[in-house]
Amino acid sequence: MDQQLRHRILMVSDFYYPNFGGVENHIYYLSQCLLQLGHKVVVLTHSYGNRSGVRYMTGGLKVYYVPWRPFVLQNTLPTIYFSLPIIRTILIRERITVVHGHQAFSTLCHEALMHARTMGYKVVFTDHSLYGFADVGSIHMNKVLQFSLADIDQAICVSHTSKENTVLRSGIPPEKVFVIPNAVDTAMFTPAHKRLDCDTIVIVVISRLVYRKGADLLVEVIPEVCNLFPNVRFIVGGDGPKRVRLEEMREKHSLQDRVDMLGAVPHAQVRSVLISGHIFLNSSLTEAFCIAILEAASCGLLTVSTKVGGVPEVLPDDMIVLAEPDPYDMVQAIKKAIHMLPYIDPHLMHNRMKGLYSWHDVAKRTEVVYDRARQCSKKDFLHRLSRYLRCGAWAGKIFFLVMLLNFLLLSLLQIWQPSDNIEEVPDMELSQDQQEDIQLNSCEA
Amino acid sequence: METTETDTSKYHPPWRKVAYGGMQPGYNDNYTDETFLEELVTNANVVKRDILIVMQDSVSISQYLCIVALVVIVWIHTLDSVIGEGSLLLLDACLLGLGFLILLLTTSQLSLKVLSKYLLNIAFFTCGLFVLAPVYHTLTRSISSDSIVALTISLLILHLFLHDYSGYTIRPPGCAKNPNLASNISLNASIVASVLVASRLPSRLHVFAIVLFSLQVFLFGPLITFCIKKYSFKLHLCFSFLLISMTLSIIYFLHTVSFVIFTSLLVFISAVCPYMLIKIQVYKFEINGPWDEAKLCFDITD
Repeated sequence: MDQQLRHRILMVSDFYYPNFGGVENHIYYLSQCLLQLGHKVVVLTHSYGNRSGVRYMTGGLKVYYVPWRPFVLQNTLPTIYFSLPIIRTILIRERITVVHGHQAFSTLCHEALMHARTMGYKVVFTDHSLYGFADVGSIHMNKVLQFSLADIDQAICVSHTSKENTVLRSGIPPEKVFVIPNAVDTAMFTPAHKRLDCDTIVIVVISRLVYRKGADLLVEVIPEVCNLFPNVRFIVGGDGPKRVRLEEMREKHSLQDRVDMLGAVPHAQVRSVLISGHIFLNSSLTEAFCIAILEAASCGLLTVSTKVGGVPEVLPDDMIVLAEPDPYDMVQAIKKAIHMLPYIDPHLMHNRMKGLYSWHDVAKRTEVVYDRARQCSKKDFLHRLSRYLRCGAWAGKIFFLVMLLNFLLLSLLQIWQPSDNIEEVPDMELSQDQQEDIQLNSCEA
Repeated sequence: METTETDTSKYHPPWRKVAYGGMQPGYNDNYTDETFLEELVTNANVVKRDILIVMQDSVSISQYLCIVALVVIVWIHTLDSVIGEGSLLLLDACLLGLGFLILLLTTSQLSLKVLSKYLLNIAFFTCGLFVLAPVYHTLTRSISSDSIVALTISLLILHLFLHDYSGYTIRPPGCAKNPNLASNISLNASIVASVLVASRLPSRLHVFAIVLFSLQVFLFGPLITFCIKKYSFKLHLCFSFLLISMTLSIIYFLHTVSFVIFTSLLVFISAVCPYMLIKIQVYKFEINGPWDEAKLCFDITD
């Protein structure tokens, strides 16, 4: 690839492999597809147990597991200034051009964006979740987001509802926000070879059993559905604080033979659980974009979901049945799905999914965002400082001072550890065979 | 807003609010449609307040403040040995009788069985206090008076701050709803304050009388005032005004400076605070939309 057009991207987040989740998978797959397009990608995250230091993943993806312990909810301790030296070293060493932060809830992401902005790098942020405006936690989180996005080049959201939410929370102009959804690895989630017979209908639920994911709705819906349809069975995968309530419900209505509780399902076995069912039930109370639904659709399951957040945008109307987050409505939706079932062909659905979602498409669209970011005007740091004053009467001034102090510390660091002394890493050129291997194995065909 | 219709002769389908299918032809990813923020709802649940109603509601707070002020006056006078133990015991009996009378008059379905249950509980309560009076008498012997005064004042402030002014913490037996944490803490603070004050008194009978008086007011006072309010709002207002005027006159004859302070406090709570509340309601900005977490319409019973 032409050196002029090549981007050197640093993905920053607290959430990465070996954890499995929406954000983690997004970063991994996006990085792999960007590597295939010819860009250079480096990932920065905190250490996970003994996994600390520099690791290399498929395709030459370099991951810096900085030796910081997660502090609460998988986040590193927010020290604001103490992360400056190491982030500066990584940025100079890898000759980064764009810093891409993920997830508003990640303290490492905010700190890296702050330091990158102080040093003048181009900065892109992706928001993966929806947040409210009313409770104390959300109010503070939105203020932090306002700070991070005050001086950002471009932002990415995973759905249109998420774009509206981010624009309201942070106050950035809507033209700066791109909507690039997640995708699914359709090569990994293929339907079963033999189509399941429809005598017993199996409904699969795989989610963390917490309040936010609607476990309480499941407790109301499952007995009702089992009562109305004698040939329906449930498979519930996942663990969490609400598992006790589901077990109690199972005992109370004597549904031990009709409801299977699998416990926590490792990511590698999700597909085998999905292909044993006909219908996938998602009862979340809030969802920016639900990757679980994509995985289920890729395996050929018909989805029944609550109509919250960005879920209505995810699948076409013939692949999903939406319901209000109300037990009666959900039972009606499951009834409709059961009637639709004979007309569903899993392989047809899988082939359609291959056309609708693709990580390569996501990577190309993200490349457009990086190109846009590069074209953004290169203003001096001191000129950009005034943007922070717009964050609020008091907060604006505090943020201004925080960034000013960061700039002073950076200048000090530049005297103490000049950037010429930091050895730059040469690019790793993969041989032709290795490149072919990677293209066959990674992402989807 | 950006539209990229570079070639107007080439037809492309209208923009749809969907995430599947890749980039929509003819539109950039940062295209902002006219329907952007269409489903935003602002100030959906905001109630327009009327100043007279807010002022009437603030009477509950003033009334309770007066009750606490009267209790503090009784404490001070007992500590100064102005009120003897005989008069205190008479006061306790009168309060008990008055409380029962109000309860009988305002609550319609008080059967003989429930009444006898209440009487039995009161009897147990009183006997328990009488037995524990010697313990309270020597409780704070080694603590200096200044610490006791400071602690009592801070506990009373905490009690007033966290008090549940719209309900009552002590529930009659068989009540469904449990009191919340703040009202429990305030009740405990008031009990500890009463015990601290009582431990400074000369004799055990004094201690028993003052603890009985304080606990009668703090534990059962809110219940009585709630019954009055539920029975008739006009009666509640009359009772409150009577109480406030009685308190103000007693304080006037005792100490002029505290009278001025107390009056200004009551004026602040009854007039200034409602006015400020209504004035800043203009700035209320509540945002609701499709991104909100769905609220469950049923109660979760564990």
